[in-house]
Amino acid sequence: MRVFASLRSVVSALFHRSLVENEIEEELRAHIQDRANDLERSGVPRAEAERRARLEFGGYEKYKEEIREAQGTHFLETLIQDLRFGLRMLRKSPGFTAVAILTLALGIGANAAIFTMMNGLMLHTLPVRDPRQLVEILHHYPDDPEPGFNGFSWDAYQIMRDGNHVLSDLVIGSLNVYVVGGHALESQTVFGGNVGGTFFESLGVRPAIGRLIGPLDIKDSSAVAVVSWSFWKSRFNLNPSIVGEKIIASGTPVTIIGVTQRGFYGLSNQAQQDIWLPFSLGDRSSPGFSVGLLGRLKPGVSIQQARADLATLFQTANDRPDANPFMRRMELRIAPAGNGVSTPVSQMLSTPLTALMATVALLLLLACANLAVLLLARGASRQHEMAVRVCLGAARARLLRQTLTESLLLSLIGSALGIFLAYFAADGLIRLFASGRFIMGLPVRFDVLKHPDTRVLLFTGTIALLTGLLCGAAPAMSASNTIPASALQPGSKIGETKRQRLFGKGLVASQVALSLVLVSLAGLFVGYLSQLRNHLGFERNNLLLVTLDFAQSGYNASQFSHLSQELVMRLNAIPGVSSATFSSVSPMEGPGASSFAFAEDHPEKTTPVSINYIAPDYFETYGTPFLAGRDFSAPDQAGSRVAIVNEAAARECFGNGNPIGRHITLSHITLTKGEKTYEVVGVVGDAKYNDLKQPAPPTIYADLLQEGFIGSQLAIRTRIDPGGVVSAVRQAEADVLKAVPIVRMMGMNEQIDSTIVPQRLIATLSAGFGVLGALLAAIGLYALLAYTVAGRTHEIGVRMALGAAGTDVIRIVLRDAVWMVCAGLAIGAPLAFWGKRVAASLIPNLPVAGPFPIVLAAAIMIAVGLIAVYLPARRAMRVDPLVALRYE
Amino acid sequence: MPERAQILPGTLDLLILKAVSLGPLYGYGILLRIEQISQGALLIEQGALYPALFRLVRQGLLKAHWDTSENNRRTKFYELTSAGRKRLRQEEEGWNRLVAAIASALKAQPEEI
Repeated sequence: MRVFASLRSVVSALFHRSLVENEIEEELRAHIQDRANDLERSGVPRAEAERRARLEFGGYEKYKEEIREAQGTHFLETLIQDLRFGLRMLRKSPGFTAVAILTLALGIGANAAIFTMMNGLMLHTLPVRDPRQLVEILHHYPDDPEPGFNGFSWDAYQIMRDGNHVLSDLVIGSLNVYVVGGHALESQTVFGGNVGGTFFESLGVRPAIGRLIGPLDIKDSSAVAVVSWSFWKSRFNLNPSIVGEKIIASGTPVTIIGVTQRGFYGLSNQAQQDIWLPFSLGDRSSPGFSVGLLGRLKPGVSIQQARADLATLFQTANDRPDANPFMRRMELRIAPAGNGVSTPVSQMLSTPLTALMATVALLLLLACANLAVLLLARGASRQHEMAVRVCLGAARARLLRQTLTESLLLSLIGSALGIFLAYFAADGLIRLFASGRFIMGLPVRFDVLKHPDTRVLLFTGTIALLTGLLCGAAPAMSASNTIPASALQPGSKIGETKRQRLFGKGLVASQVALSLVLVSLAGLFVGYLSQLRNHLGFERNNLLLVTLDFAQSGYNASQFSHLSQELVMRLNAIPGVSSATFSSVSPMEGPGASSFAFAEDHPEKTTPVSINYIAPDYFETYGTPFLAGRDFSAPDQAGSRVAIVNEAAARECFGNGNPIGRHITLSHITLTKGEKTYEVVGVVGDAKYNDLKQPAPPTIYADLLQEGFIGSQLAIRTRIDPGGVVSAVRQAEADVLKAVPIVRMMGMNEQIDSTIVPQRLIATLSAGFGVLGALLAAIGLYALLAYTVAGRTHEIGVRMALGAAGTDVIRIVLRDAVWMVCAGLAIGAPLAFWGKRVAASLIPNLPVAGPFPIVLAAAIMIAVGLIAVYLPARRAMRVDPLVALRYE
Repeated sequence: MPERAQILPGTLDLLILKAVSLGPLYGYGILLRIEQISQGALLIEQGALYPALFRLVRQGLLKAHWDTSENNRRTKFYELTSAGRKRLRQEEEGWNRLVAAIASALKAQPEEI
């Protein structure tokens, strides 16, 4: 009851400040008035009565102040006082303030940036019914940590749907890209989905208008589509006549039958899905048919149970004789889909973001330690001030609060700046993601990844508060423990205890340790990136890639053969171009054809191989060496089937024998049945095919023109920067292939980089964090040494007066520094090794063998330490004994 | 006018509680009541009354409300809460014990030791 009353009085005091103030005034005046009236009644003249009444009342303002204190508004007022004082102190030392705020802004900003993206990517739940029950059914290569692929044959779908005991529902719903157009619409690339008849019902999505796709649409193979509310709004201005409207989705004319409810955007937080079509039942027996599957777990069923149950059924499906042999190598994975299904964006980002979140947490810890050192150093220089305040009667708790207020103020300003920085950092990172393969040019909703929502602000506010408390705690304790007697002694060595000094040094050592971890991880990731970008098996510089779209051209194979050779001749005539060639795919463009190969005399030993269909001069253009045999040539086009194999394929199929002139048979070429036999005419060096992270796969190169295929990839080797020939290439292409538009033109380097976005992201950021970490450690070391030297000026002066040389003085400073750095390295090295192991578990193929990055990082930290020592050491050496001793 | 005694520190609260326990009062009225019940023997600096009143309200021993007084002016009245009544009883007992102890101490004669 009493607590309540006092609380109420505080609250009312806070909120009705002026009202309360007026009431106090009114009450006190009434008192004086009453007294004056009484005095007047007893015969005192009015003026005299009022004077006496005021006099008897006593110090009017003093009592008002006491009343205010008695009311409990004290806290707020002291807080404002503390804040004002804190701000004044920060303004007084702008250098310190700038370094401190920047340190925190970078630390907190990095955390906010990464958390914003994680939030957008992994923490939002989909706006559907019971999103937590949703799971995605995926298949993946054994030991591949990537989420995998959501595509299953009709048989596999039916077997899993009908035989499982763990799902209440298994529906078809995949994420696709459509080019949507029509007579009233401008063509636009949007995300959409191929869905089954129970998709919307299972998700609990209702139509805003019209109806949604149902089982009948699948059975009748209706040419219908459902669009999203936002599509309806942006393209049809919410006009109800949309129902019945005919549009074209990726070449198929469909009729819109309805619009999904407002707020539903599909199965991914980053990819706004705008159109859904019924999947085509008619294609189910074709070898390329596949459907994406979304399951709903029965209540109480765990992911592991679901996986165990479904994996058996998946196996059953794959054991059927007509199943695709590729699928037999795959394993089943069940992934929670409540936060969205795996998309190119989420696949690319979730692992790196998790790793980065850990890294930035480390960085923030480092920033904290750094600020604590700075505050301690500054606290030491403010001991005099604190001592005076203690002498003047300041309570120790009050000093504690004052110092904490200051550090909280710093962290608050730092985090405000950090959120600001985070927005731009996230923007920059998103630009990096947008250059990723399979994402480039798609309408991905990256904005969800950079806009801070309440959760982000809450997160940032919390870490700001923790940071402020954490880095302010030690300095605050030491400030409140000030012993006035020793601190106020003139010329006294700053009154700190041995423990405090050790604590400061320990902080710097821990900074060195943390930086060592950050720098060595950075070295690891940057090394990995450069390893990925090299040893490709082809020459990546000065190689221009042009993607052509023959779909609407109507060219047949012989026209293509003729025109492509003409174009290559035209291109070779461009100054700066040294050769040009066509192929069906270019390295790192995406998966091309694949099959199983066996040598003529070993049909029992099949090897999975990648296939590329190429025109003559392919290897010359890409810069892949011929090891034996010859290239394709014009006579091959009419002759029997010939192929060129790479070293890996030659080794797999023919062992150590000479493959030239022998025959190789390919079966199941990209999901087709039937076999083709080729005579091997050449062997080339291994070259990366589609994945930089994997060794070059066994690859068979067949003759594009002989097979009668059309190759949409044009590669041009230049002697100058590819940018210099772009316009001439465009001109030649437009002249020769009039009806064929250029889809894309980019350098090989760009194409390579588009496949290693996560690696680039990690390398870039970890390098940045490494530099930042080293910088912070340097600042910490510098600050501590600088203030030690300042505190020991007198001692140094005495030593010099007694004949110590400059080198002796430097030794004093250096000894401390060397100890701190060495201790830091000793603590940091095992941590760095551990960090390396964690990194290796997150990122497959990371070259973790060898201590090189850690040794390098240690060297860097020592160099950084020396730089940080330089200024304080010089200052110590320049101490003038006369000046130093005159202080006394 | 009788000789006035400066009140002991800490006894002001007790006096206020006692004065208010006799019926709701406004600030100046409390002063008058204390003078009246102490037969004018106690000297209180008038202003000191108010911080004490606010403190007692905050401690939940008194409650205050605005009302119109007999001469039709808006006035702040104080009255005792049940916690205040309890506190007053405790303080009274404590005070009486103290007074008895001090009085007996002062009455002591050399031969009693």
